[in-house]
Amino acid sequence: MKFPTRLLAANMVFAILLWVGFLLLVGAITAGIAVFGQVSGSVWDPASQLARFYALFTGVALAREYLPMYIAHGQTRRQFGAQAAVTITLFAPFLSVLITLGYLLENVLHGVAGWPQGISRDHLFGSTSEIGLIFAEYAIEFLVWTVAGALMGAGFYRWEGGGVVTIPVGIAMVLVSSGALGTDLRIPFLFLTMLNRLRLDLQESLPLGLAVGLGTFAVGLALAWAIIRDVPLRNRPR
Amino acid sequence: MFDDRSPIYRQIADRIKADVLSEQIKGDEQIMSTNQYAAYYRINPATAAKAFQQLVDEGVLYKKRGIGMFVSPDARENLRAARRETFFAEVVDPMVTEAKTIGIPLGEVVQRINELGAR
Amino acid sequence: MRVEVRDLVLRYGETTALDGVTLSLEPNKIHGLLGRNGSGKTSLLSVLAAFRRQSAGEVRIGGEPVFENTAVTSRISLIRDEGETVDLGTVDDALFFAEWLRPDWDAKFASELLERFALTRKMSVKAMSKGQRSAFGVIIGLAGRAPLTMFDESHLGMDVPSRQAFYDVLLADYMARPRTIILSSHLIEEVSPLLEKVVIIDAGRVVVQEETQALLARGTAITGAAASVDAFTEGLTVLDSRHLGGTKSVLVYGALDEERRRRAEAAGLELGPVAMEDLFVHLTGGPR
Repeated sequence: MKFPTRLLAANMVFAILLWVGFLLLVGAITAGIAVFGQVSGSVWDPASQLARFYALFTGVALAREYLPMYIAHGQTRRQFGAQAAVTITLFAPFLSVLITLGYLLENVLHGVAGWPQGISRDHLFGSTSEIGLIFAEYAIEFLVWTVAGALMGAGFYRWEGGGVVTIPVGIAMVLVSSGALGTDLRIPFLFLTMLNRLRLDLQESLPLGLAVGLGTFAVGLALAWAIIRDVPLRNRPR
Repeated sequence: MFDDRSPIYRQIADRIKADVLSEQIKGDEQIMSTNQYAAYYRINPATAAKAFQQLVDEGVLYKKRGIGMFVSPDARENLRAARRETFFAEVVDPMVTEAKTIGIPLGEVVQRINELGAR
Repeated sequence: MRVEVRDLVLRYGETTALDGVTLSLEPNKIHGLLGRNGSGKTSLLSVLAAFRRQSAGEVRIGGEPVFENTAVTSRISLIRDEGETVDLGTVDDALFFAEWLRPDWDAKFASELLERFALTRKMSVKAMSKGQRSAFGVIIGLAGRAPLTMFDESHLGMDVPSRQAFYDVLLADYMARPRTIILSSHLIEEVSPLLEKVVIIDAGRVVVQEETQALLARGTAITGAAASVDAFTEGLTVLDSRHLGGTKSVLVYGALDEERRRRAEAAGLELGPVAMEDLFVHLTGGPR
């Protein structure tokens, strides 16, 4: 199999651009808080929740944009499936590195400015200096969110409105993994807020998080593959 | 069989025959390739090749394998002879019919012909 | 690449789009696929390009089945108006993937074509006009140099000068590097001179598969006094007839032999060529 160099490169370059913009934005917000009030902890920590939705979007785009493009360029669904799986496997840790770097940069900034650096969300890690755990948590989270996006993207690409059946599956995947990692879910849509009470309280730990996360990832990949393995390209523009 | 119902064949054949008659291309000279004709008329090269084949069958062109198409040495003479044969039927007769239809006395037509002939 | 299709059926739920298509397309020729809206052209091309799997029947390209067969699909390109290969950020982004995924990609040719169709690499595909987007699709199809290249109404959105440029480039590149090309288009009069062979499909079935010029030669327009025309066309397949006062013009289908042509001439009838469009209209059942 060809290594998905360009698929990865395209997504990574885009992620870096977004990350730089996001860093600047968080920096500006921190400065705003410092001017008009008191910086009481990490700003990067609450802000970085958004990254999972970006991971989800990346998964959706894989199914909706890249799958048709691959097939139209004479690749098989099998080739695409393998490349997409490798891409997600490598893209999630890469995105996690960016987020972890964000914590590190913020540690330095808050250290220099004399601000506290506490975290407000529930995490696998207890402080922003636990680099290894930060990386692991986000890597697993992104892995699951991206594959959930790919699964739902594939569902909607294949069945249009019928793709809603994949949404509960995607949410379940995300719930299980965040339970195992001990992280907040906080789905930010009004009609879904009741889901936020659906927290699974597993005894979180790194081994459990890894096992459940990787298991969920595998299940997601298998389901997504089942949807795309003989998917026809749509005849009408999406 | 040369298919005179196909406009493309006829267009190509007429062009080549006109060039031969006016000595734009002389006997034993190579004519442009099928691909050049195809590009010029924006047609499939196979169609151009078939038009050429018709002209080979008619004796206007001959083929040198691997080189291209050439004008037969006697093509111009043959074309002229053929045109002479049909000249009255295809040119003079319709002219006379037309003159009668629109009411030009044939005497005037003859007079015009004599004038032109004297130039 | 030779395309062999046998008893091909494609259903979308209850609808049957292809209803037993059988055809054989010779390699390294330009083939035309003509058909009315909903006749099954796009369905047929989609199956040939492994965009979808057939419901029944057999498709072999270069002697091999197509669906999920990498060895074959990598040598096939189908460009559609849906824009699978172009809708991706900028021109550069789309080319980035095209040159990486297409084994026979010619980057230099792609650059020449971009210039020819006045497209730049930084252009956003979503912000393009319909014509520019079509042109970009055509560029990706041509520069891909796939041994089987298919265009499904890909140039419909282009204006006349761009379409002529497309025909010129297509012919020149085909002559320089012969490959199997299938053109599907509603612009019948424009494309038919480019086609060596045509396949006309209607309601999911093949109506005609024939050499273009031979098909054209099968139609004749006969014009003259109504009575003489009627007498002459007795027993012939008349596709269409029109009156203007005492003059009648009919379209007959089927080769006329020399003897018949002489008889027509003797009867004072005028014989003329028929446009592919007219043949097409009548072979596919007239307006409906």
